[in-house]
Amino acid sequence: MTIHETSAVRGMVDHDHLKSRRLRNRIRHEAIQFGVIAIVVALLGMLAYAVKSGLAEKGIRFSFSFLANTAGFDISEGWTLTSGESFLPDFTLFSPDMTVASAFVTGIFNTAKVAILAIILSTVLGTMLGVGRLSTNWVVRNLCFWIVEFVRNTPLLIQLVFWYFAVVLRFPPMASAAHLYGLIVSQQGVYVPALSWVGGDSILSIALATLILVSAVGAIFDPIKGMRRVCVAAAVICFALLFVRGGVELNFPVANKFKASGGTSISPEMAALLLAIVVNSASFIAETVRGAIDALPKSQWEAAASLGLSRRYTVNDIVLPQVFRVVLPSFGNQYISLTKNTALGIAVGYPDLFNIYGTIANQTGHSLEGIIIVMASYLILSWIISTLVYWANRRLNPTGVPR
Amino acid sequence: MIATSIKWTRHNLFGKPLDVVLSLLVIPGVLWLAYTITDWAFASAKWDIVVQSLRVLMIGVFPADQAWRAWTASAIIGAILGAGLGCVFCFKPHHGLVLLLVPVLLLIVDGGLENALPATGIIASTILGWALTSYVPLSRKVLPAAAFTGFIVIVAVMAPPGVGLWGGLLLSVLLTLVTSVLSLPIGILLAFGRQSRLSSLRIICTWYIEVMRSVPLILVVYWIWILMPVLAPQWGLADVARGMIGFTIFYSAYVAEYVRSGLQAVPRAQTEAARSLGMSEFDINRSIVLPQALRVVVAPLVGNVLDIFNSAPLVFIIGLTDFLRAGQMILANPQYGDRTFEVLSFLLVTYFVIGSMITYAARKLEDHMATGTR
Repeated sequence: MTIHETSAVRGMVDHDHLKSRRLRNRIRHEAIQFGVIAIVVALLGMLAYAVKSGLAEKGIRFSFSFLANTAGFDISEGWTLTSGESFLPDFTLFSPDMTVASAFVTGIFNTAKVAILAIILSTVLGTMLGVGRLSTNWVVRNLCFWIVEFVRNTPLLIQLVFWYFAVVLRFPPMASAAHLYGLIVSQQGVYVPALSWVGGDSILSIALATLILVSAVGAIFDPIKGMRRVCVAAAVICFALLFVRGGVELNFPVANKFKASGGTSISPEMAALLLAIVVNSASFIAETVRGAIDALPKSQWEAAASLGLSRRYTVNDIVLPQVFRVVLPSFGNQYISLTKNTALGIAVGYPDLFNIYGTIANQTGHSLEGIIIVMASYLILSWIISTLVYWANRRLNPTGVPR
Repeated sequence: MIATSIKWTRHNLFGKPLDVVLSLLVIPGVLWLAYTITDWAFASAKWDIVVQSLRVLMIGVFPADQAWRAWTASAIIGAILGAGLGCVFCFKPHHGLVLLLVPVLLLIVDGGLENALPATGIIASTILGWALTSYVPLSRKVLPAAAFTGFIVIVAVMAPPGVGLWGGLLLSVLLTLVTSVLSLPIGILLAFGRQSRLSSLRIICTWYIEVMRSVPLILVVYWIWILMPVLAPQWGLADVARGMIGFTIFYSAYVAEYVRSGLQAVPRAQTEAARSLGMSEFDINRSIVLPQALRVVVAPLVGNVLDIFNSAPLVFIIGLTDFLRAGQMILANPQYGDRTFEVLSFLLVTYFVIGSMITYAARKLEDHMATGTR
């Protein structure tokens, strides 16, 4: 047994040995670290060089100066920002004499328009479908199940093509279109009543509008729950006052022979894209909601039942609030993938970001620069959505509160 | 009997006031919808267009006199898929009978042997592959090698008429298979890279995954399609290959996220135990962590295969004739202009049947994998 005799000495040797070994390991670690960076930089450099020389062979120069050129092509719908006379940029409909950069802005606007509408509608529809799958009514339960199964197991693109060619384009022509309380559904598009500003420059109207805006901001951002309710009430009252005073009015669409005027129109392409994306995302959201409700401890249902709550109150006040806390991150992922899916609009000719990029690439030949802009735009849109969802999640789940 | 059905109805349809209202609203609507669809499908729909253009839907614009090549390739794919299925689900005779219904139905509807013969061959090879791995355990060992050989044979058989002619459902299936196979190793590497102790590697992998997950697939596919000729003009890659590269690049990021969730599910004690046994990091990851992680994520990865299959129609953007494009090509014929519903519903139903089978397999696999764990 020599361990005891030599342990002290060996320990000291080990200490030195350990130190040098640690140093060696660290140097190795840093060297590998450096190597990885060097390899990636080299790869990126090679990529850039290859692209540059490849483009040079075709006589194209890599530059972003084409953004300032005149677009020269038209876009069927969409608003854009242009530099007007005033300090703030003008917000107008796109026209061919604007710049390429404006065309990109139109694309982002159109993508965001569909995405925001689809996010709102699919959340509502998806929650309804998800709750419907747990209904006590056999028909409703199975109907929701089969809708969700069918939509989830078929490609979105085919659904989109189906909605466009087999549904929206089969709507009646404008002359015999369906009228429903100001809603006009026709081949030429869907027309809905819109609010329009008729207050002009009257001080009262502008003041009321500002108040609505302020209370709306307060209703979302105010940390105190009571204040948020006051803000909502204030916004509603101000809006009612504004409406009564004639600051805004409902603008109903009026059908003419071939098109309708007034109100807000939704083009057939947008209607099809919106329908396809809403139904598709709603199914995925329904699946998430159902999963979250299933994952909720059964004791929650039993406790609510033992308190004598009806099923409606159980679902609305006990189950759904807890479910929304859990599902919000998955909703966020779904919202991002929904925003990405708007790129399919090119299949039916909706002028979203990707479609407009395709036109620009064809017209100017700057497809690689355009890709960078489009990628960056989608990245930013995704980041905005994930930040908002993260923020909402923080709001719903204050840190330290166990679920 | 009547008493039980009345009881069932009262309990399931008219149990509560809300249920009564819902039933009264929904049941007539559903009945009307079911009647309309059935009436249309059996009375007014002209399905002859689907039967006549079945070859185009299945293999696209592949020349008719070379169709045997595509059918051979389909049979090999069927055998590989069947063999893969046999590793998990044991083959039963009634499975075979259900599968054999397809060619029998075709024979009845079509009346000719033109479509029924290839269908019989494909189904037969699927059943053969399935039965082989179910009853001969030894064959499971050689399956990866056999599948790899099968892929090479497929490419060799399909290539002579021209790679640009690949199309139809066969192209969608091929694209799905190649993408799911190729994206697995890349995804695993990315997942490990994202968990690496080297911060540079970690940041690069994280960026790659995050960027790929926040841009649309259609953009990546299009981008690779225009970038490839610029990067490597001398290779002259075919559109199909470029599409597959784009899909692989995109879906690797998704696979990486699934695998990462699996890696996180492996208890830390496993790594520590392995380390205390003196295993190297590489050995720990390869033989301790990865097998357990993959076991957890097999079901989500099968779900990912469904995602890939459902995104396959996106290749229309690079001019490939996949299942959907083949259908649209048929509709472009002015003579068939009014058959939109027939063709599109055939596409949807076919996709639904295949997709449901993949979903079903994923669910079964999940149960199968869960049985061995504590």
